[in-house]
Amino acid sequence: MTQHLTKKLLLFAALFPLLSLSQGYQVNLQGQVSQAMGGAGLAMTEDGSSLFFNPGASAFIEKNEVSLNFTPTFANGTFLEAKTNNLAHTVSPMGTPFSAYGLFHLKDSSSLKLGMAVYTPFGSTVEWEDGWEGRFALKRLQLMSIFFQPTVSYKISDKIGLGVGLIYTYGKVNLQKDLPLQFEDDGSYGTAELAGTSHGFGYNAGIYFNATDKLKFALTYRSRIDMNVKKGQAIFTVPASLEDKFPSGEFSASLPLPSVVSLGTVVNPTDKLLLALDINYTNWSVYDTLGFDYAVNTESLEDTRSPRMYEAAFAFRLGAQYDVTDKFKARIGVSFAQTPSLDDYVTPESPDADRISYTIGLGYAITKKISLDASLLYTQLEREATNQETQLSGTFKTIVFAPGIQFNYTF
Amino acid sequence: MKFTYLALLSGIVFISCKPKFEMPEEHLGTVNVTNYIALGGSNTAGFSDGAFNLKGQENSYAQILSEQFNRIETSTFNQSLVSEMGINLDGNSKLIVGYKTDCNDEESLSPVRFNSTGDNSILSANVSSLGLFNNMAIPEMSVTDVNTLNYNNPFYQRIVADASSTSVLDLAVANNPTFYTTQLGEDDILAFATSGATSAPTPTNGAAGVGFEGSLEEVITSMVAAGAKGALLNIPNVLNHPYFTTIPYNGLEIDAEQAESLNSVFNPIGLSFQVGTNGFLIEDTSEPFGVRKMLPGEKILLTIPLDSVKCYGMGITNYIPDRYSLTLEEIEVIEQMITEYNQVIASLANQNGVALVDLHSLYKSFHNETVYNGVSMSSDFISGGTFSLDGLNLNPIGQAKIANAIIEELNTFYNAAIPFADVTTYPGIIFP
Repeated sequence: MTQHLTKKLLLFAALFPLLSLSQGYQVNLQGQVSQAMGGAGLAMTEDGSSLFFNPGASAFIEKNEVSLNFTPTFANGTFLEAKTNNLAHTVSPMGTPFSAYGLFHLKDSSSLKLGMAVYTPFGSTVEWEDGWEGRFALKRLQLMSIFFQPTVSYKISDKIGLGVGLIYTYGKVNLQKDLPLQFEDDGSYGTAELAGTSHGFGYNAGIYFNATDKLKFALTYRSRIDMNVKKGQAIFTVPASLEDKFPSGEFSASLPLPSVVSLGTVVNPTDKLLLALDINYTNWSVYDTLGFDYAVNTESLEDTRSPRMYEAAFAFRLGAQYDVTDKFKARIGVSFAQTPSLDDYVTPESPDADRISYTIGLGYAITKKISLDASLLYTQLEREATNQETQLSGTFKTIVFAPGIQFNYTF
Repeated sequence: MKFTYLALLSGIVFISCKPKFEMPEEHLGTVNVTNYIALGGSNTAGFSDGAFNLKGQENSYAQILSEQFNRIETSTFNQSLVSEMGINLDGNSKLIVGYKTDCNDEESLSPVRFNSTGDNSILSANVSSLGLFNNMAIPEMSVTDVNTLNYNNPFYQRIVADASSTSVLDLAVANNPTFYTTQLGEDDILAFATSGATSAPTPTNGAAGVGFEGSLEEVITSMVAAGAKGALLNIPNVLNHPYFTTIPYNGLEIDAEQAESLNSVFNPIGLSFQVGTNGFLIEDTSEPFGVRKMLPGEKILLTIPLDSVKCYGMGITNYIPDRYSLTLEEIEVIEQMITEYNQVIASLANQNGVALVDLHSLYKSFHNETVYNGVSMSSDFISGGTFSLDGLNLNPIGQAKIANAIIEELNTFYNAAIPFADVTTYPGIIFP
């Protein structure tokens, strides 16, 4: 009798990614200097965030440094359904991306630097209001991840630096949606909750080329990391008569974090002005399908394969920094990121779109050892799409606002 | 950290800043919805789950449509509301999903009656004093009965003061309709099909009160004369309703021993059975021995007594009586009727400048399974999520889909911009 509930569950697969910054489910909030400059800065040697942006540049930072960076992120999404004209809003909590960098040189060799970077390039919660029209596709997705990256950076010569960091990633996912099965007593809907943790390994490598005093280049590669959820817990809350059709139990799933190749340059037209331009090429095409394998399958609960069909995408980032005084720096930037998602595959957990982001920021040296950086990012995205799997059709608009602050200590 | 405060403060300010949309325009075009009258049979009345009941009425497509009109312009839509339990013409209450134990002592999820009897007060009370109703659909109303005096249907008798001088159509016209919909003809087809094609069908041609064409024309002419604009709903292929598709023609599954013993009985009259699935044995008076095996494409009706099939040899040693099956020949007659009725509806819509809503295509999409906002819907019994538990009439989700099909047509035909109903907010099948 319930055989065809199967198909309903097939749609269950809409999952991981994020209503996030930058592209797809990637968040580029790893340092206030770069954040204030449109996300550019691969060829900069401003602070410890180079461990993330370009390990090859880290060796060119003269002193030891510890920096802490926090960017409360606010994303408000609204969905206008194409035919009912109903509006739905996200009620997502504040995102809390942070990063911490420590960069040290060994006593006997100033050309070799060791670093440790801890950062959260994926980590926010998308939650749609109760009863919204897409609740059978997605109610809430929480994704937390933390990257640990021990790094070695070596200054081969005054011109060239090489660096590589190994990445270990720990992630946590929790996904909730409604099931179109109603309870007898109050007509409320069944729910599904998938929760799991994952581990992954990768690396981050870069070359820094100090061409002249006024011209630098950078080339970096961050590898793909497969986040595998091996023993996730699937919890189905359904009417008692259907419990054997939807057995709660283990599931496995995998989310690929794509590789990124980046090219960056920095120009100093004057002593006080610095211009940075980065180009990222992210190989999103690895995210073509999102699958869920349930340990126990029933006629109603089959493994799922949901097409995502992401495509590789470019991002261009342009930023400027001006030394107003010896202690005070002003920054501004803009970036354009192509969306990796096609119109037919846009989902409410990542209603991504081509986007232009605007950033400003400043840096202030309180003492010779202590400095602060702050930035502000604003972007608004709009995407009109019909998902071919769920047929959810309408326009997503999202405003993202991310003020951030960073504390640096050099010694 | 002053900055942190600032950041948090600006964040709080930001939280209240939601993306702005320029909302799409909504208007009624040339439709005047001041007084919307719905004419039809069971499905339009909100008859569902095997009885005329409150939930069905509250979620009839006519009610849903009026609610969508209300988003633009306030109007009232009166229905002769009954109780949750409801009643049908056999005196039964509505169906719910429950547990049923069959003759083999196997318990399974199955439609069961909400109550041992229906709510008889529905039929005994006359509610005509409440005024005129906008939903003038009467459960099981044939198109030929719309303008009949003394129409002897208890669901009509309860809403009319004097049936001897007032027809359903009279009441509808008396309510000064400005807009109307008709879903007429499906109940005629169903009356024939659910009898196993043993009753007399309403002929396509013929005058009002006799044939489909004359009767429907009379309705439309009256509405046009009353100055109402309207929409005619055509007829789906009812043979794809779960009532006709749930029980397979070849549900007779037997082992070698059973096959041998059946063959020893039936081989002499030219019938043979094989191990595995076989067509059930049905009554067919055109065969020399009055019985034969069912053929692919033939249908068994949902009303067949399943215990008789499972435990007492119906369809195996005893044939299935004609009233529980549709043969290929009968199916052809029914499909031909639907085609002819729909041609009449299309040409009447065309002649009178009335919108035509293609339910035939909509139901085809149920049959082929479609996805709406992450929910998969089909015409499968119970699990399909579109039909109610009687397998003939739609559940609220299906009703909302009809309302949207009508809106889509009004938006085109009458240059309206009426928002669709959010199908996912309507109740589906409730499980224990």
